[in-house]
Amino acid sequence: MTELNRRRFLQTSAATTLAAGVPGLAAAQESLGMAMIVPSPVGEVGWSHSLAIAMEKVQEELGANLTILENIPEGPDADRMMNRLVSDGNKFLLAGSFGYQNGAMQIARRNPDVTVLHASGFMVAPNFSPFAAKYFQGTYQMGMAAAALSKTGKLGSVAAFAIPELITSINAFTLGAQAVNPNIEVSVVWVNSWFDPAQEQGAAKALLSQDCDVIFSNAQDTPSVITVCEEAGAYVFNLNSSMAQFAPEYYLGCVSTDWSPFFLESAKAHLDGTFGGRNAFLGVEDGVVQVLDWNPAIPEDVKAQIDEVSAAIADGSFHVFTGRILKQDETVGVEDGETLTDEQIVSMDWHVAGVTTPLPQ
Amino acid sequence: MSAIGFILAGMLAAAMPFLLAALGELVCERAGVLNLGIEGMMALGAVVGFIIVHSSGGHLLGFAGAGLASMVLALVFGWLALAVRANQVAAGLAIGILGSGLSALFGKSFESQTVTGLPKHALPWLSELPVLGGLFRQDVAVWLGLLAALAIWALLRFTKLGLVIRAVGENPHAARAIGYKVIAIRYAAVAFGGLMAGFAGAYASTVYTPLWAEGMIAGRGWIAVALVVFATWMPGRLVFGAMLFGAVSLSQLAAQASGVALNSQLLSSLPYVMTILVLGVISANRGLLKMNGVASLGEPFGP
Repeated sequence: MTELNRRRFLQTSAATTLAAGVPGLAAAQESLGMAMIVPSPVGEVGWSHSLAIAMEKVQEELGANLTILENIPEGPDADRMMNRLVSDGNKFLLAGSFGYQNGAMQIARRNPDVTVLHASGFMVAPNFSPFAAKYFQGTYQMGMAAAALSKTGKLGSVAAFAIPELITSINAFTLGAQAVNPNIEVSVVWVNSWFDPAQEQGAAKALLSQDCDVIFSNAQDTPSVITVCEEAGAYVFNLNSSMAQFAPEYYLGCVSTDWSPFFLESAKAHLDGTFGGRNAFLGVEDGVVQVLDWNPAIPEDVKAQIDEVSAAIADGSFHVFTGRILKQDETVGVEDGETLTDEQIVSMDWHVAGVTTPLPQ
Repeated sequence: MSAIGFILAGMLAAAMPFLLAALGELVCERAGVLNLGIEGMMALGAVVGFIIVHSSGGHLLGFAGAGLASMVLALVFGWLALAVRANQVAAGLAIGILGSGLSALFGKSFESQTVTGLPKHALPWLSELPVLGGLFRQDVAVWLGLLAALAIWALLRFTKLGLVIRAVGENPHAARAIGYKVIAIRYAAVAFGGLMAGFAGAYASTVYTPLWAEGMIAGRGWIAVALVVFATWMPGRLVFGAMLFGAVSLSQLAAQASGVALNSQLLSSLPYVMTILVLGVISANRGLLKMNGVASLGEPFGP
């Protein structure tokens, strides 16, 4: 009996030693743990949705595990949930809102083996990359289409908060429209809320009552503005994910973001151990920003121009913010031939001439 | 359409979620119960109403279901506040949070879906007026809401039931001494408050902004609670206050759209600043509060 026991013991311990000798084997079988947290519900459309579907694509591609936590308010709750996700063994973390920045950065510093991607922040670390989209490349194209379709020469934008990301997309929209019709005017209503569908609809109606006939739904996560415009017969477009089903007739298109190329590249780099934190400002040239669901009512010659511009943006021969660009007060914003740098774009705090609403200070 | 026309056309509909919820809260407070859970009850009503209308049960059924759901939640609050005699402020807040949570739970698979609102009915002749005309083109729920305000005013002022409700709120011990069932009347008032909050929520999610998104009530329940104090517990002033509130929240949008050089953050906060100012003015006037205030508001009643 004892001998048998001893033999068994030797056998099992040998097997254990063997397994321990090749740690790579055990680790490779264990799939990558990915997690994301977002402050709003992951609906059928909108910002959180666009992040979630991109993460799901990466999950499929890599056979990883994915945990999605939605509706996590920015603040101590978020920090706790992110710590929890990391202690549960997740190594690839997506923090889907600006306000998660400090908590996510602490986690990245404490856990060098964890890779963190953070939406629209500015802090960078070797395992921490902020990312943002060059929406302005898409809204410029939308402006061209809007100017071609507008009968009144007045365009409008319902916008959430006067922060650089939204200001630049309105400016590019205006510049694109001016490329087709130099006399176009753009009015902006700041709702001063990320989320208030009733006020957003009120804002859209206010713009329509001022004869604006193409509306830019800027950073609304629900089809609030889209449905109002469809009812009123005004063209409308939005950012992030297509809401065409809510406006079958008057949906102008969607400046969509497909984050999956960037997420996939980052996740692969994480697995290879080659991930390096950087400020990822991604656009048409990265396959992240695309305009989808163009309305067939856009005249063909304008559509051809738009396609040209889009190709020129992709190959770098055209930049939206190349001078000469005038500010609202008619002073020069960008000198002739000069182009704004990424840093200047992400900190833009002025409107171009043609935007009639003064920028809130 | 001019900016003025836009404000006039939209302010009644904008006021309706505040007005309906505040009317219910007014009756509830007149009976001496402070229900701070209005926000959550509206959210629950909004999601239930939306789900019913979305599955094409129609608006009538949607409002009924919303009212019923919020009424049940209000009765849970009533049980806490009246039977268990819990602190009304704490119980109201807890029930409000519960309502918001439930709305998120039920609405999960309906996030960002839309429904069709109600058609507008134009009053003959009046709706033909220039500028003012828009004021008289409203959906049927607005007309019914205004009638409800009128009915509640008449009920509180002219009927015996109204007198009893006010007596219960003023001095529950005296009311009980002359044979009225204080607790039962308070339960009824709380249930009515819930019903109206449910209607308000359903109006917000199926008529005013015909879509469901979690958190879409966005603080309107709290404004309703503030409006009751704003109105010093008088239905007439409540209608005025709700309309003023609707008009101010729309006028800041209209001002921006027409390019007025005003600070938009300041404009957006105007309705709230106004509430604080009016609350300050009212609270400073002791006489006004004594005349109209409800003496036993928020105090648990035990025979």
